[in-house]
Amino acid sequence: MSNYKTKVVGFLCNWCSYEGADRAGAAKLKYPGNLRTIRVMCSGRVEPQFILKAFREGASGVLILGCHPGDCHYKSGNYKAVRRIELLRNMLAQLGIEPERIRLDWVAASEGEKFARVANEMVETIEKLGPLQIKFE
Amino acid sequence: MAERTGVFICRCGPNIGNSIDVNAVMQEVGRMEEVEFVTDHNLLCSQEGKAFVTEQIKKNNLDRVVIAACTPKQYEQLFMNACRDAGINPFLMQMTNIREQCAWVTADRQEATEKALGFIKAAVSRVKLHESMEKKAIDASPDVLVVGGGVAGLESVLTLAQKGRKVYLVEKTPFIGGVGALLEDVYQTMECAPCMLAPELQEVLQKDNVEVYTHSELEDVVGSYGNFTVKIRKKARYVDIEACIGCNACFDPCPVDVPNLYDQGLSNRKAIYLPFMGALPNVPVIDSEHCMQLYGEECRLCEQACAFGAIRFDDHDEIVEKKVGAIVLATGADLMDPRSIPQYGYGRYENIYSAMELERLYASNGPTGGNIIMKNGKKPESVAFIYCVGRKEKGYCSGICCMYSVKLARHVQEKLPEARVYSLYDDLCLPKKESQVVYKKVKEEGIEFIRAGQSSTVTQAGDKLKVSYDSPIGRKEIIVDMVVLAPAMVPSGDILKLSELFDIPLDVYGFFEQEHLLMKPFGTPLEGVYIAGTCQGPKDIGDSVAQGGAAAGRILSRLVPGEKLELETKVANINEEICSGCRICIGMCPFSAISRDIEKSISVVDETLCRGCGTCSAACPTGAAIARHYTCEQILKEIEGVVQ
Ligand code: FES
Repeated sequence: MSNYKTKVVGFLCNWCSYEGADRAGAAKLKYPGNLRTIRVMCSGRVEPQFILKAFREGASGVLILGCHPGDCHYKSGNYKAVRRIELLRNMLAQLGIEPERIRLDWVAASEGEKFARVANEMVETIEKLGPLQIKFE
Repeated sequence: MAERTGVFICRCGPNIGNSIDVNAVMQEVGRMEEVEFVTDHNLLCSQEGKAFVTEQIKKNNLDRVVIAACTPKQYEQLFMNACRDAGINPFLMQMTNIREQCAWVTADRQEATEKALGFIKAAVSRVKLHESMEKKAIDASPDVLVVGGGVAGLESVLTLAQKGRKVYLVEKTPFIGGVGALLEDVYQTMECAPCMLAPELQEVLQKDNVEVYTHSELEDVVGSYGNFTVKIRKKARYVDIEACIGCNACFDPCPVDVPNLYDQGLSNRKAIYLPFMGALPNVPVIDSEHCMQLYGEECRLCEQACAFGAIRFDDHDEIVEKKVGAIVLATGADLMDPRSIPQYGYGRYENIYSAMELERLYASNGPTGGNIIMKNGKKPESVAFIYCVGRKEKGYCSGICCMYSVKLARHVQEKLPEARVYSLYDDLCLPKKESQVVYKKVKEEGIEFIRAGQSSTVTQAGDKLKVSYDSPIGRKEIIVDMVVLAPAMVPSGDILKLSELFDIPLDVYGFFEQEHLLMKPFGTPLEGVYIAGTCQGPKDIGDSVAQGGAAAGRILSRLVPGEKLELETKVANINEEICSGCRICIGMCPFSAISRDIEKSISVVDETLCRGCGTCSAACPTGAAIARHYTCEQILKEIEGVVQ
């Protein structure tokens, strides 16, 4: 069993990435159980607050998955996510939270394999990084 | 009153039951304060399972429900219905996916069990914050505005009108039929275009429930899906449509002569004119720019010639306002001006024609009555067609140029059997099942097909034209009398104005961007506004008609007279108390659903336009923009739950 205490929260957009994760499931692809997924309507719904909350609750990584550029069900939510996440990453780096702890990627509804690959890679990265160095409160 | 939450865990036969220790999960979940009732079931999605959920909700007096089962994508609706049947609001249910995103993907049973527990805890704490929601419905006008009277628009009009809908058709030219009406015949059937279109045009003009505004433009649009108010500028025609009988006696006396652009400038027309013989409605129009009387010089010759008193020099533009529920934009496209690619010599040398010019030359209602003669009055003895003009420059294949070029080449050969006809192509794009037959026939008729890539250049050679091109054995050339260019289809000149008027996007090529290329090619990001035909991208007549019909069908099925318009439930709203009026959300919304309430200095959401993506909520600095059913509080609770 992997370093099980490490948790990664994944925000999946309803239209592509959530389906992609379902596809990984239907294909019985395996990834560590410490990736915990949450459905949002669009990657553009993910706000910095959610990511901070995940860290605060003890997660050591956050994965945000949306539709491929140009494919967002709401036209441009994923582009907005890019900007928001980039900004947050830079800010958190100042606080000593490594940028790799937040990953934004694109998974299409058909990309079960990609979902499983990204999930595995993410958990591996986070396990290497170990727990967050910064303490909230 | 404390919530009474019930948790139903589906074993899905062995699918969940074998990978997750359901009993252990039930025990843990049962300890949660909010949980009143927890149970497992072998197959919740079965008839019996659904009934079980309904029954247990009632029996245990539950007011919140968590279903831990497969992906909500599959059976969310079913369980929502089960809740409704039990008398509780379906939005007070949360499904959590312990199959696709847990049991099936987690190798270790212990890990899977803990993950499932996390998911269920998250759902329990989230569902506590759910709000009851009802599907909203608004009154809507079933009437429709169609902009553009080409084949796509006409199909929309007729599909709607045949079902009794009131339709307003706005066409910027003085006649209807679009480009199709200017053609002699059509690929692939090679049938007579005016004959094919005439019955449709007549039907549109004669239907009581269709109001046709030719020589008119859309001036303004406000409102949203179900309730648009549109302003149509009805330009002065100076001829009374009711009084005119279409005898054309007014043309001859008119002293003005100007190039007729409907004939691509290959013929002249008067200041009072019909674009071409047979144009419908058969009522001339006075071109105010060139009419002497309207210019201020006393003339009135047409007025004197009219036996029916149909000339109206005092006519003026009129603004007509209409209320409609939906709008179809079928505003067509143009062919690229080949002047912009100098290698083809267009505009520099005589006897180089664009495809549309040749279309008019061989049309029996065209400038030469259908005779293919050059400007010097001679018939060409040799003609070279150059395909794919502008393909490289535009970056796309229009998909119709090969078809119309093959058609034109064939007609030239038919009309001038002695002539030598060449076709210089890059890649032949002749899709659809009938095309190869046509192509084969054309080849048999002796037209020479030469693969020249994009390498052709045209220069003057005495009184002839020299076309040179790359061949596998080096540069080659042919000398011809006439060259015909097949230019790419490009967005029409007024598309930018329309895109701004409606605030709907254009794609990288400048055509209207569809909602989804494959699944909703007729939709736009703006609810209730549809696109059809070549304004969405190059396409042939058949595809344009299909899209026009599809857009109309969509309207018929969604906007039904006497029925209210159902709106998306999970929309955003703005908390008036805390909105600071910063307007960030207004710029964020991809569907222009948020606007400013000037009096209150806050943002407001138009629920008819909002599709519930939540990006406004993510951007709002004060938390005033709330994405219903995906609120901050709900998601934060969910985060807590899954991480525990
Ligand atoms: S809906 Fe998938 S990223 Fe917007």
